[in-house]
Amino acid sequence: MTLTIPPQIHMDGLLPFLARLSTVGDAEEIRLDFSGLRRVSPGALVALVATVTRWLRQRRKVAFLNLDRCAITGYLQRMDVLKCCGADLPEDFTRHDSRGRFVPVRLVEHDVEKIGNEMAGCLAPGGEDYEHPNASLYDLAWYVFTETANNARQHSGGLGYAAAQVTRSEGLLKLAVADNGKGIRQSFIDAGLSWAENLSDGEAILKALAPKVSSKGRPSNEGVGLTLVSGLVRQTRGWLLVVSGSGVVRMNPGGNAEILPFPEAGRYDGTLVVTAFRQKSATDFAVLLHDAKLQSGLLRAGAQGGKFQP
Amino acid sequence: MKLELNLAEEFGSSLSDGSVAAEFRMGRIDPYAGICSQIVLDFTGVRSANSSFINALVAGFMEQHGPKVLDQLVFKGCNPVIRVLVESAISLGLEKHAQVA
Repeated sequence: MTLTIPPQIHMDGLLPFLARLSTVGDAEEIRLDFSGLRRVSPGALVALVATVTRWLRQRRKVAFLNLDRCAITGYLQRMDVLKCCGADLPEDFTRHDSRGRFVPVRLVEHDVEKIGNEMAGCLAPGGEDYEHPNASLYDLAWYVFTETANNARQHSGGLGYAAAQVTRSEGLLKLAVADNGKGIRQSFIDAGLSWAENLSDGEAILKALAPKVSSKGRPSNEGVGLTLVSGLVRQTRGWLLVVSGSGVVRMNPGGNAEILPFPEAGRYDGTLVVTAFRQKSATDFAVLLHDAKLQSGLLRAGAQGGKFQP
Repeated sequence: MKLELNLAEEFGSSLSDGSVAAEFRMGRIDPYAGICSQIVLDFTGVRSANSSFINALVAGFMEQHGPKVLDQLVFKGCNPVIRVLVESAISLGLEKHAQVA
């Protein structure tokens, strides 16, 4: 079957794009037509890569059509989308330093810390230095990436991919992690949490955003990863989108997480987490984290502290 | 007897994997809770950490041993973000300990 990639896949276009990907169903041969693609977000790129690699793992044939007519083939190459999908092309351009602009699609492997350092260093150059003006942005990017990437690596049973971008005109930091694994609801069920069988995919996502709910189990997990990511989004008046199976949950600035219908009865086989933060909102990450923990009920005001030494 | 553990020497400057932290706590900290008068967790040189790691390290210890170990525990060299993570892990661990007790 031939699937035409739509011209613009960002913000409101992402869910219809995922729905279109899901129309492939069980087709053995899939042709992706890139001729019309003009603009694409990191969330769409990682979802595309995770989906194509799932198809390839299932030994389906995937062809990339009309890349020579696509207006952003060079960008897809710079973002390593084609390389990750096994469809690499010769590069007729020079790769420049992407620091402060974007992080190409990366496979989330075991060394999440190292990838997190590279990703945060790219999105917030200089922030490695705790005294640097970009330090809080660095911390925000590192924290959100490591929590979502560890979820993809440890819970999904599939492969996870991450990418990020800084949009200077909008002043936004966009970070996305997608996996092609079992999805949030199924990971709850596989962990023996029988209540998950009665949940829809959307309700399972909401459960994952709630504090102290984990599919990984003790003693290593307290179930706060996605909770605090959503708390940080709330604190910074950012955006969060989580898609898993047929479930979609979105949080807009100033709002709460809410379940949305998947357009065209689509689904995403795996889990996609997309976050967008205003760069200016990351002024003091320690304060943001403290407030996110208070709001989530993970820290009580005036709680008994420990002994700290310089 | 004093037990001092330098996290940067053990794991480097970035700490994110809760399963690694839990394994470290069970093998290297829990056995000394009743033996050492002071346990120092030294975060000097640690640039970044997340809740998954610090909760597995600290909340699990507090949950298992309760508020009495707060007198033994010292957190050294924490940057402001790590301090928030540690304080919240203590709170979480004590809350869980109280639920079990």
